[in-house]
Amino acid sequence: MAALKPFAMPKWGIEMTEGTIAEWLVAEGEPFERGKVLTAIETDKITNEVEAEAPGQFARIVATPGQTYPVGALLAVLADGPATDAEIEAFLSTFKAADALGSAGRDTAPPVPPEPAPAAAPAATTIPDDVKISPAARRLAEDRGIDVGAIAGSGKGGRISLQDVDQAGRPPAAGYGGAPVSIAVEDGDIETVYASPLAKRLARQHGINLSGMPGSGPRGRICKADVLAKLPPAAAPAPAPTMSQAPAAMRPAAEIVPMDKIRRIVARRLTEAKQAIPHFYVRMEARADALVALRAQANLFLGARISINDFIVRAAALALVEEPECNVQVHGDTIHRFAYADVAVAIASDKGLVTPIVRNAEALLPQEIGERTKVLIARAAAGRLSHEDMDGGSFTVSNLGMFGVDGFDAIINPPQGAILAVGGSRRVFAEQADGSGAFESRIAFTLSCDHRAIDGAAGARYLAALKRLIEAPEALFRR
Amino acid sequence: MAQMMIREVIVDTIRSEMRRDPDVMMLGEDIVGGMGTAGGPEAIGGIWSTSTGLWEEFGSNRIIDTPISESAIIGSAAGAALAGKRPIAELMFADFVGVCMDQIWNQIAKFRYMFGGKSRCPVVIRLIYGAGFNAAPQHSQAVYSMMTSMPGVKVVMPTTPADTKGLLTQAIRDDDPVLFFEHKALYGVKGEVPDGDYTIPFGHARQVRAGEHVTIVAMGMMVGLAERAADLLAKDGIGCDVIDIRTTSPLDEEAILDSVELTGRLVVVDESPPRCSVAADICAMVARRAFAALKAPPEMVTPPHTPVPFARELESAYLPSPPKIMDAVRTVLAYR
Repeated sequence: MAALKPFAMPKWGIEMTEGTIAEWLVAEGEPFERGKVLTAIETDKITNEVEAEAPGQFARIVATPGQTYPVGALLAVLADGPATDAEIEAFLSTFKAADALGSAGRDTAPPVPPEPAPAAAPAATTIPDDVKISPAARRLAEDRGIDVGAIAGSGKGGRISLQDVDQAGRPPAAGYGGAPVSIAVEDGDIETVYASPLAKRLARQHGINLSGMPGSGPRGRICKADVLAKLPPAAAPAPAPTMSQAPAAMRPAAEIVPMDKIRRIVARRLTEAKQAIPHFYVRMEARADALVALRAQANLFLGARISINDFIVRAAALALVEEPECNVQVHGDTIHRFAYADVAVAIASDKGLVTPIVRNAEALLPQEIGERTKVLIARAAAGRLSHEDMDGGSFTVSNLGMFGVDGFDAIINPPQGAILAVGGSRRVFAEQADGSGAFESRIAFTLSCDHRAIDGAAGARYLAALKRLIEAPEALFRR
Repeated sequence: MAQMMIREVIVDTIRSEMRRDPDVMMLGEDIVGGMGTAGGPEAIGGIWSTSTGLWEEFGSNRIIDTPISESAIIGSAAGAALAGKRPIAELMFADFVGVCMDQIWNQIAKFRYMFGGKSRCPVVIRLIYGAGFNAAPQHSQAVYSMMTSMPGVKVVMPTTPADTKGLLTQAIRDDDPVLFFEHKALYGVKGEVPDGDYTIPFGHARQVRAGEHVTIVAMGMMVGLAERAADLLAKDGIGCDVIDIRTTSPLDEEAILDSVELTGRLVVVDESPPRCSVAADICAMVARRAFAALKAPPEMVTPPHTPVPFARELESAYLPSPPKIMDAVRTVLAYR
């Protein structure tokens, strides 16, 4: 009789959910020593060799090289000696994959409470029609793969209830009992005073005689308050903290406003984005004095009204061309790269948050971006943005600088690969290149990247390019 | 304090109340005993010996031996009570309460309400109940659950000699109708009884055992079984809070709820069949008012929904017992 153990897909790092068996380096039934390399497993990031933690052999190899398996999945059955097929089959039928986030790998998570191995296969089962069981109990038992044959139903004629099935699927209750306990009642058998147990205990503690005391509890029962009233007053009690606010009942109830359609869509998409996309954030500040001066000059010479944001959109687009790894959309397992930069601009309108697109922003001069953006803002305010105005884009610029915020982190607008959050211009006293100190204007940028497509270094290179363009803004006017 | 049997406590209490108050009287079948069968008053004091010596002391005007007619006994008692007396009526077998149900249910229980609170009907009906004597379905029943569901009467179930004295005195002095249930099997139970005037107000449960794992609520004959079960479980380290509710109406809800809030687990032991029983009533009350405290569904230990069987073996299988109570306690503790 060999002792069998599962050899399961390990979990290396928090984001690993599956791995691919590259090859098996030990054959079924071939004994190996501790430290022997058993297999190589590829993940999204790395390929690792797995060494034997103890001498043994594979009683059965389950996983096929080249195939991908979730974390915790059974890859092979380890044995300390030769095992019979029957033993292996019995082991396989009771194996239960550990939770993907559980204790399967090297990341030790809190242990999952031990579930009793279900008598039948854990997969969903079908219960014969002639079993006496309530409809909800049948569904639960089928879903959880619980063997109802082992349940003694608590209903009429042994009918099985939902509670019976629920109980059968739980681990046994903590045991009670052990050393004898005393259950004697302290007041003895014959009662002459009718008081609550708490009042009696207080009376014993303070040596108060309850007989003849009038009770204010139900049916004249002496209660805690009656006993406490007999106690000598304690030293002046600390004054109770006063409520500075009106009681909740006095305040008007909250106004309940149902979400309108746009708000519902925004809520759903942002929730999905924040939950599904592995965001990471890169931050950088850029000196904005040159940009501010150039904008004043340009508006004067061109007679235009270019905003700081128009320059930033232009810079963001040029930086995307420079750093194409950030100029992407993510669609499932594929990454779409673009030769042009369609940059979305986040606009807070009365109708809600919208992100229309400035197309080919890399090819537009700041004043052209400004004109395009004004059109989009007007359409957003009128609620007349078309599908074409909104569709696509690989990148969003969200600017809250006009509100004076220092900076913030934005949620990616899928399927775009990244979003740039722009803070306000701040005056900062800083060391200059010549070692002297002077005030300068700075804008803080936070780039949120979808880590499925963009790595940290690419995000950092992108921000460096952006900073260079902002700090030497003349380039923004070059076609 | 004197050591007395419950049977002696009942005679003693009635005697002292009759001495104290000339309006107290008693009536029932054979309570003098064999009256006239041998040509004279052969007072044996009733088949339960709960009126021994009363006829000799108080005479035929206050101790009335009646014909075999429960309707007549209860009807007369109701009339006497309305006329200012404090009658104690004995139903030799509680099972026959059915034939005087109109007198109890439609008359005695309703007088105070129907006359705008201006009338009172201070009658005590002693009902001798309970199984365990191989006496078959018509002489063994626990009918208190049915009577508890009836507004307008108080339902009292003593379990110890001391409680019998305190509760019976209270019942006789009470201005409202009281149904006083005496279990046949408890008449021989001996215990300490306080001397002098001793009353127990209705609606105050008695804590019999103090444990922290499971609350066992019981009444009447069932209290002793619950005590036995609790003592055996305590040896295994399981502590049961045992509560004798003493009166099923009014019910000491606070005592039950306070205990369940501590233990989180409830077993109710009841000698009447389970449907619409005191046990079902208490389980419902706890489920409704202490749901948050419960760690397991409440359990009931009751006979099955059948008449009391005649055969000894079937009768003992029918009745609650300490092993059945222990099983129920272990069931609520095993709830996952």
